[in-house]
Amino acid sequence: MNEHIDTTTEWVCDKCRQALVSQKVKVRYLDGNFEVDLLKCPTCQMVFISDELAMGKMLEVEKGLEDK
Amino acid sequence: MDLDQLLEISNQCIHSEPPVCVASCPVHMDVIAFVSEVEKGNFSGAYKMMESKIPLSRLIGKICDHPCEKACVRSHAGGSIRIGELEKSVVTFGYSAPKKPLLLPKNKGNIAVIGGGLSGCVAAIELDKKGYKVALFEKSNRLGGRLWEYVSKGLEAREIEEELGMIEQKGIAVHYGVEVLEEDLPRYLETYDAIYLGARTWSKSYTVDPHSFQSEISALFIGGGIQNPNALMIESASSGKRAAVSIDRYITQSSMLASREREGVFETKLHYATDQVAPLASVPLSASIYSQDEAAAEASRCLKCQCDACIKACVHMQRFSITPDSYIRSICHNERIVLGTRRANLMINSCTECGLCKAVCPVGIGMADIIHATRESMVKRNKMPLSAHDFALKDMAFSQSDYFSLVRKQPSKEASKDLFYYPMIAFSAYARGLYKGSGKTGYLFYPGCQLSSTHTDYIGSIYKHLVGVIKEKDAMSDVGLFLGCCGAPADWAGRGDLMHDNVEKIRQTWEAEGRPTFILACSSCASTFAKYLPMIQTVSLWEIFDTYGLPEVDIKKGKRELCIHDACAIRDNPKIHESIRNIVKTLGYSVQELEYSKEKTKCCGYGGLVACANPEQAEEFAADRICESDPDVLVYCAMCKDMLVKGNKRAYHILDIIYANEINQETPQKMPTLSDRQNNRKRLKRQLLKEIWNEEEEGAMDPTYDFALHISDEITALMEKRFILLGDVEKVVANSLSHQERFFNPKSSDYLARLRIQNVTYWVRYEESGRDITVKDAYMHRMEVVEG
Repeated sequence: MNEHIDTTTEWVCDKCRQALVSQKVKVRYLDGNFEVDLLKCPTCQMVFISDELAMGKMLEVEKGLEDK
Repeated sequence: MDLDQLLEISNQCIHSEPPVCVASCPVHMDVIAFVSEVEKGNFSGAYKMMESKIPLSRLIGKICDHPCEKACVRSHAGGSIRIGELEKSVVTFGYSAPKKPLLLPKNKGNIAVIGGGLSGCVAAIELDKKGYKVALFEKSNRLGGRLWEYVSKGLEAREIEEELGMIEQKGIAVHYGVEVLEEDLPRYLETYDAIYLGARTWSKSYTVDPHSFQSEISALFIGGGIQNPNALMIESASSGKRAAVSIDRYITQSSMLASREREGVFETKLHYATDQVAPLASVPLSASIYSQDEAAAEASRCLKCQCDACIKACVHMQRFSITPDSYIRSICHNERIVLGTRRANLMINSCTECGLCKAVCPVGIGMADIIHATRESMVKRNKMPLSAHDFALKDMAFSQSDYFSLVRKQPSKEASKDLFYYPMIAFSAYARGLYKGSGKTGYLFYPGCQLSSTHTDYIGSIYKHLVGVIKEKDAMSDVGLFLGCCGAPADWAGRGDLMHDNVEKIRQTWEAEGRPTFILACSSCASTFAKYLPMIQTVSLWEIFDTYGLPEVDIKKGKRELCIHDACAIRDNPKIHESIRNIVKTLGYSVQELEYSKEKTKCCGYGGLVACANPEQAEEFAADRICESDPDVLVYCAMCKDMLVKGNKRAYHILDIIYANEINQETPQKMPTLSDRQNNRKRLKRQLLKEIWNEEEEGAMDPTYDFALHISDEITALMEKRFILLGDVEKVVANSLSHQERFFNPKSSDYLARLRIQNVTYWVRYEESGRDITVKDAYMHRMEVVEG
């Protein structure tokens, strides 16, 4: 999960009307726990995951952990 | 899982078993590799193949009696491959003088070879190669013995001299004109560490072990003419070679017989069938030896005998380029890994467990049971990849829930009295069946979850037909209905725990209903019941149709030809195969049988949940099956139809032709989506309850939303690929609207929302226009993102 993740985006939090900021976020799956930089709303903390990230790198890591 | 027992099975696989030509060659020349080089025109490469196995190959290659040819399986299909002639050509076109031998220190021991005939020369050369100091004693003034009888009969004196001259060049001490006699032996035994006696005649006879050539005097090894005076040249060469192995083992004090069971001529377990092989005659010789082109043409006749019946039949083994023996070794390795990546997981989850490999295997090795046991073991050790079967297991849970699951007795006579009027009672067998209601359930119609999902609208008609025809013949037996899932997905996923619970529930229902006979419409159900519920008597719906009669529908006399794709789950059930064919013919169609049919049918790709765990592999199964057939395909398993239609093959379920619902030839067929399937099951339960039992389902279980979703075909296809249900998308959108939990893109005006449902986070990108929601993307991840 250390690959470069795009930290610029046009998306904003709809509720808080805040621009998203890149921050360390905890992600976990099976026995894996990571901290990665992801875009999130600075107010409500909702984390943004793009299609490319979910179906690309995240899926790859999920599969890797499943085979451990 | 007993891995040692598993390895035992892998040892029985004859994929690596040598062909009969190699087994009948005393020195085991690799004939397939040899002819393959000749076929390519690589004569020097072919000569190297000979050289690696045949001692003095330049000479033997020209005069070998080629016992391989007599054994060649091509003999029944145009004549044996002329391996002897090929060898002559290869010696002529491929021989090159060896490099000057390197004189290595000979310090492993001193060996005397008595007799410079073929076996003695070979023993001397082999022992020299192994690092022994060899002294060769020959009573005449030249080496070679019987080889000289072939001068002008295949060999030239010059060749013999050149080849045998190498012996002295290697550093072997040759003593000509020395006749060693029996009385000299003690002296030689004292001087040398071991003796090879290869003379043609000897005054005393010894007891010699036929495998090691060792005599009762442990340092004395006897081969060649004394052992077998009528030996073929290649047999003499072989005995010298094998005796050299024994002498080396004797000196180095290793086991004399270990791992030597197959030295010399042996019987191979490979029996290559030639009944399907088109005869092809040998290439005639246009001169005394084959030209290079003639040799290549003759070599191309070789069948390269190898047992690959399972690989030829199975695209899964082809995709992973694996044979059962190596497959089992990979499984064992995968099972033994403590820390590290289990690389075989995907492969193990890509087998359809269809059983074809076992059906075609000459020694009866089947991967289905092995894969099943492996998956169970992976689940028990918590090593089964979660994503492989998650969707299918959730779908199974849906089928077992109140959304679909239903058990009902035949509507009672009392409850049906509204139907008992003329002309209804005269024209409706169903009404007459209800009129004869006994209250005792003799049969339970169990259509299964997938047929109910994809052929929903037939189920009610089938039920009514069953009541009509069964009650007519057997007034005591009412026909009940049982909607549910047999548990096949759990079985494929290795979930013994879920399987056990499910089977127990079915068994209890069967007991509670008075042990009725189950009428099964799904081949997976048939297989599951046979495996887990043997106490329950079952009959296939197709057998009922065949024996009790088909529903009366307006049969179009199509008379088209259809090819039948049998369901792999019931490959061992000839009754079903027979019924299906009878029905198809009764309906006026002609049948084209596929090469792989009945007990040797191929899987459509759905089996083993491969469509879930490795969709690409599943598509390959379907594509492989589709290539086999030219006419439209007839199936009798809902999933087979789904897989074949998705692979763009026109396929009909047998119910489609029974109910005359073959759709227009021109319009493409479409199968319901994963979401449609669940909705169809819900709808079926509701409809049947209302139509047959006059019941309204309690409580509206479907949530209602105040928005309208619009999803294009493109996004629907994407959702299918990603196993995302419409219901999941609705939940994400509903949550985002009610809690305003969503992102907004000011440039495109799209919204993006997420919601975690059980163990998956679903994301939906959409455009909102009043109450219209247009979905533009849907994706998911299993990884949990900790917000906050």
